[in-house]
Amino acid sequence: MSTQPEVPNLLDPFGTWKTMRDASLDIWSKLMIDLVNSQAYSQATGQWLDSYLTLSQPFRHVFETTMTQVLGGLNMPTRAEVTSVAERLTHVEMRLDDLDAKLDDIQRALQALSASKQTADTSANIKEAH
Amino acid sequence: MGFSTFPMTPDQLQSELQRIEEETRTLLRVSTSRATVAQTPKQVIWTLNKAKLYRYIPVVPAEERHKVPLLLVFALMNRPYILDLRPGHSFIEYMVTHGYDVYLLDWGVPGPEDKGLTFDDYALEYLPRAIRKIKAVSGSAEFSLLGWCIGAILTTIYAALRPGDGLKNLILLTAPLDFSDKTAGGFVRWVNDQSFDPDKIIEAFGNMPGEMIDYGAKALKPVENYIGSYLTLWDNLDNPRIVEAWHAMNTWVTDLIPMAGATYRQLIKELYQENRLMEGKLRIRGERVDVSRIRANLLNVIALADHISPPCQSESIMTKVSSQDQRVLKVKGGHIGMMAGSGALKYTWPHIDEWLAARSH
Repeated sequence: MSTQPEVPNLLDPFGTWKTMRDASLDIWSKLMIDLVNSQAYSQATGQWLDSYLTLSQPFRHVFETTMTQVLGGLNMPTRAEVTSVAERLTHVEMRLDDLDAKLDDIQRALQALSASKQTADTSANIKEAH
Repeated sequence: MGFSTFPMTPDQLQSELQRIEEETRTLLRVSTSRATVAQTPKQVIWTLNKAKLYRYIPVVPAEERHKVPLLLVFALMNRPYILDLRPGHSFIEYMVTHGYDVYLLDWGVPGPEDKGLTFDDYALEYLPRAIRKIKAVSGSAEFSLLGWCIGAILTTIYAALRPGDGLKNLILLTAPLDFSDKTAGGFVRWVNDQSFDPDKIIEAFGNMPGEMIDYGAKALKPVENYIGSYLTLWDNLDNPRIVEAWHAMNTWVTDLIPMAGATYRQLIKELYQENRLMEGKLRIRGERVDVSRIRANLLNVIALADHISPPCQSESIMTKVSSQDQRVLKVKGGHIGMMAGSGALKYTWPHIDEWLAARSH
């Protein structure tokens, strides 16, 4: 029994569209990868980003100054003050971590001491028994 | 999702409408919800600022476990649960079931107060403290480090600065270390353009916004990331295996976090632009980072189709370190797919396990 070769179904517009889509996607992908890896694209994005940051800087400055004044006026902590508290908390955490490390060291030293004492006691007992 | 051909019988039409309804529900579910990720049982054993150190609950009896604990260090600008994406597709789960005592350092999400954090802090403040805790918990003076992407930069810096700290095995995954080739990949080209100024970005935002990092990563392969990924989902809505994998990966891809501003500046200026690490000019807290001081056993895993860290950025370290025991493993796949894609279980994880098992006693 021979098998019929698969022919595109002209009554299935979605199937035809999918075949066309898959065929063109690879080409698009390669073209776009070449584009984003080009010097022109690097320059264009770099310049666009630079322009955006330069142009938005005065607005950001005004917004930040206003917000600081508003928060100050309302007796609320500003971002800088909250940030400062958070930084201090991290320093406290580090000090606690240092203490934790020292406690671990002390615990290990005590365990070693107690183990060596036990060994000494055991050997003394054996000697006495003999 | 597809459509059957016309004409059809009323029964066929009804079943076709039901299928379309089900697939529409699936599409809505996966595109509007988060998958359940990071399910391997774990406990937090140490925290500092936003960082957390997890220990995964061992499933292999202590006497059968590898003696040397393994610490996983992921990149700073993405969530580390890519290493534990979902049951059956989790590197962490794989390593735990293969008898490793596994720890994961999650850097957390930097806030505005962390904008001043640098590689110096991560490599010489956070990492050594986490390692101290691992030594205390595991009782082992030696340990293995696995660093992925920016995590590989951090572990390389640490290994070079503290070679006598008990580091036995160092595994680097897709490590962006050598930026001498200024034409290798889109990232290098973009950040080396004279109009690109990281200082301006940091001045504007404090930290590098996750959305900008995400755009940078996706723009390297725009068609695949912005169109192809969604077409794959559309074409496979009737395949639960592919749908669930897509859902979990999409959850991770869209879970964006910023990068500490000063770290980003250091990454771009001192590494990408000036290539200080490979040229031996990088200074961390005043100490020169000399990679020739790395003596630990070294496994360098390179993804052949990596467009984020092209292979040439990872290869040259092998000739610069002093490790007597060293191996390069080149695997199929891209920057993330190599470790989290469907082929990872076959092409990557067993090789890492095989190499590490022989050196973890």
